[in-house]
Amino acid sequence: MFSWFWDALSYLGLYYKNAKILFLGLDNAGKTTLMHVLRDDRVALHIPTQQPTAEEVVVGNIRFRAFDLGGHAAARQIWRNYYAKVDGVVFLVDAVDRERFPEVKKELDGLINDDMLSDVPFLILGNKIDMPRAASDEELRSALGLHHLTTGQGSAPMADIRPIELFMCSVVRKMGYAEGFRWLSSHIQ
Amino acid sequence: MDFAELEEMDGVRWSWMTWPSSRLEATRCIVPFACMYTPLKRLNSNRLPPPLQYDPVQCKACTSVLNPYCRVDLRTRMWFCIFCHHRNALPPNYSSITEQSLPYELIPDFTTVEYALPRQRAAPPAFLFVLDTCTRDDELQTAKDYIIKALSLLPPETMVGLITYGQNVHVHVIGYTDCAKCYVLRGEKEYTTEQIKDLLALPSGMPRGGAMNGVPGVNPAMVGAGRFLQPASEGEFMMTSILEELDTDPWPVPASQRPKRATCTALSVAVGILESTYAGNGARVELLVGGPGTVDPGKIVALELGDTVRSHSDIDKDNAPFHASALKAFDDIATRAVNAGHAIDVWSCSLDQVGSYEMKSCVDRTGGVFVLSESFEHPMFKNSFEKFFATDATNQLAMGFQSSLDIICSREIKIAGVIGPVASLNKDGPSVSTDMEIGIGGTTSWRMCALDVNTTIAAYFEVVNPHSNPIRDDQYRFVQFMTRYTHPSGQHRMRVTTTAGRWTAGDNIEAIAAGFDQDAAAVLMARMAVYKTENEDSFDILRWVDRMLIRLCARFAQYDRENPDSFALAENFSLYPQFMFNLRRSQFLQVFNSTPDETALYRSYLNRENVNNCLLMIQPTLMSYSLSGPPEPVLLDVTSIKPDRILLLDTFFYVIVFSGETVSAWRKAGYHEDGKHTNFSLLLQAPKDDAAAVLDERFPYARYIECDQKGSQARFLLAKLNPSVNHHSAAAEYGGSDFIFTDDVSLQVFTEHLKKLAVSSQ
Repeated sequence: MFSWFWDALSYLGLYYKNAKILFLGLDNAGKTTLMHVLRDDRVALHIPTQQPTAEEVVVGNIRFRAFDLGGHAAARQIWRNYYAKVDGVVFLVDAVDRERFPEVKKELDGLINDDMLSDVPFLILGNKIDMPRAASDEELRSALGLHHLTTGQGSAPMADIRPIELFMCSVVRKMGYAEGFRWLSSHIQ
Repeated sequence: MDFAELEEMDGVRWSWMTWPSSRLEATRCIVPFACMYTPLKRLNSNRLPPPLQYDPVQCKACTSVLNPYCRVDLRTRMWFCIFCHHRNALPPNYSSITEQSLPYELIPDFTTVEYALPRQRAAPPAFLFVLDTCTRDDELQTAKDYIIKALSLLPPETMVGLITYGQNVHVHVIGYTDCAKCYVLRGEKEYTTEQIKDLLALPSGMPRGGAMNGVPGVNPAMVGAGRFLQPASEGEFMMTSILEELDTDPWPVPASQRPKRATCTALSVAVGILESTYAGNGARVELLVGGPGTVDPGKIVALELGDTVRSHSDIDKDNAPFHASALKAFDDIATRAVNAGHAIDVWSCSLDQVGSYEMKSCVDRTGGVFVLSESFEHPMFKNSFEKFFATDATNQLAMGFQSSLDIICSREIKIAGVIGPVASLNKDGPSVSTDMEIGIGGTTSWRMCALDVNTTIAAYFEVVNPHSNPIRDDQYRFVQFMTRYTHPSGQHRMRVTTTAGRWTAGDNIEAIAAGFDQDAAAVLMARMAVYKTENEDSFDILRWVDRMLIRLCARFAQYDRENPDSFALAENFSLYPQFMFNLRRSQFLQVFNSTPDETALYRSYLNRENVNNCLLMIQPTLMSYSLSGPPEPVLLDVTSIKPDRILLLDTFFYVIVFSGETVSAWRKAGYHEDGKHTNFSLLLQAPKDDAAAVLDERFPYARYIECDQKGSQARFLLAKLNPSVNHHSAAAEYGGSDFIFTDDVSLQVFTEHLKKLAVSSQ
């Protein structure tokens, strides 16, 4: 029923909008790999992203203009330059790299509390669950202090609340993130 | 055949040494008949005599230069041109030569000679610095420090000048030392050359080409330009004090906007000053830029931060509103610089794009250099900048100026074109191919506004001899390269390289195959593929690379029809498929995860470096260090990763030291510091020392990374390895050896397909 509704909307051109989303997260979280999978449906390994790149990707029936910003410390300096007119943030976390969870939390808190992003929905993707040592949904929620932040995986619009939710995924196994994007697109005005 | 050894003789590497004697047979060889030529290559003194202090003897009919392959009749004092067969009289001053006392250019080993032409010396080269002031304070400070450092490195007679810009363009007067003065031009405005001259009160109608033609010129420092260009010895004080006083652009920048930055106008003004006062003399513009142009005709993005800089996909989908106009604006500047013989160097120091992609014609057509660094603080900028201005033991810069290249060839062949950091001089002639153009063709003469000892051009030829006109086996084909340039000392030089090669009957496949230089061939094909990216779709180019590889293998491999298992390549072809595999995967043809600016940089270097360096860019080298033996080269393959190994990867653009898991665990445990494990501390040090040696030699300075297996930065290595084990084939739960998360095909799969297609084609 719901997918029929989306198809009808996209047929009418109503939902085929160009939403600007940012892929953020520490280096090696999987931002570029996700971008490549969304664009070409292929997994490939790339060198760490230096200058920010942009691609047009289609997920479900929504066309996104996605910006892949480098995750290493120096590259994070220019994240702010991309906050204007953003419709959504996709924040990737390497669920295996527990050592860096505190660093992840610090960056994520900074983003969530940034005035320029105050009403922008946040899709947090806990990536690499195909790896045996990956943190669970629950472990990641507590490590990142998400328990009181997230707003639920429902797609009904919420008045006056900025949507934030965590979805666990494996980009290389192509699982989990599609649900996340569906959630994100339902919250993009 | 040792092709690298042959390269040491003349600086030339041919794709094929022995050529089939007819046009028809030539087309069946797939890889073009072409060479990589390094005009200023440092050659041994037993191959290159000291500069000859006289004019070359040239053929009256075709202007080729007398060389060891020419037949000289000492009795009648005549010599015969090897290209047009014209009979020339030897000049009177050659009357005393005998078989025993030949001039250098006739001694068989000296197929390359350099003439120091007896002319008045050219004016010293000029360096006009153009500095972006819309950067952070600390960034600007470092940039200023390094310009001041460059002033101290440059030979004292070198002319220097300074333009700074932000919203407006400030042309600083350094010839007047009582107080700081400058001319301010509006950044947003598009100025014509005439307007720039008027506003800066520059003389028009300076004698052109003074240096090139050896016409004694007026000292350019005295005619109006002296205000803006002064010898380093005199201008250094004023320029240093201007720089010390210089602040970041004072115009307020709203939080939601980018700074107003007029890069294109600043560059246009710089080129305008040089073209109206220094045309025909050696000069370079040094553009130090810290962000994207936003206000002038060369702007690549709007002021609002909400508007983002174009990406490859934007350009492909025609969704980059400023791209075409910026490209044209910079193209126009490039043309003006080429006409005046001046090079443009772009030092781009920013975490985001600055528009190098739009500026690429300014660099690539003038023989300038690109350096891309994330900040002025980064060693990639600092070390490259210092190296660029370094002088040799004789206090000379390591570069040539105001250069041109002429090619003359035997009648049986024609010139199809050149790919390299050159611009056409549009000199038509009988040697120009009429039905084949590869790269910049339609001419026998090209300009290189600047060049150095590594600058290497790819020259492509067409065999035009008809099948009906057999060529005797003992007949040679000849190609002569004549490179005129201004030595940094001001001396006018001309280097002449004459090459000879064999013909053979077209069906003599063994002889043709034996002369195949796979390294040179791979680089020549790579340059063609990259040249095609200007106009063709990337998918089509990959198809072209594949098709050419399959056809080459079908023609030159040993196999039984329809039997892939019987497929075998001779040793001198055996690495070629792997080169093509890596070229297909390289950042030259795959632009995903690169910005247009990054792509412009990569391609610029493939377009100018020698065979070895270009091959390194296509297929990096990998060395392994372990406790069990001396360092050794290993396969560029994921299976080369071992826990107890350190790997050293050199991709030209970056150099990686990668520690296996055990090595990094021991290092983290501090084994190398406790004095008991000296072997281990030596093991840790060896690859670092080797990397340092590479970095010391490399221009531009490479990005250097130390990383550990499974770490984030390990991707710099993994991305370059053949994924012979991927996440589909790796053992369950990812145990065992390392592997790569990729759906890309491995070299093994690629080779299997190649065999299948090669044995079934035709």
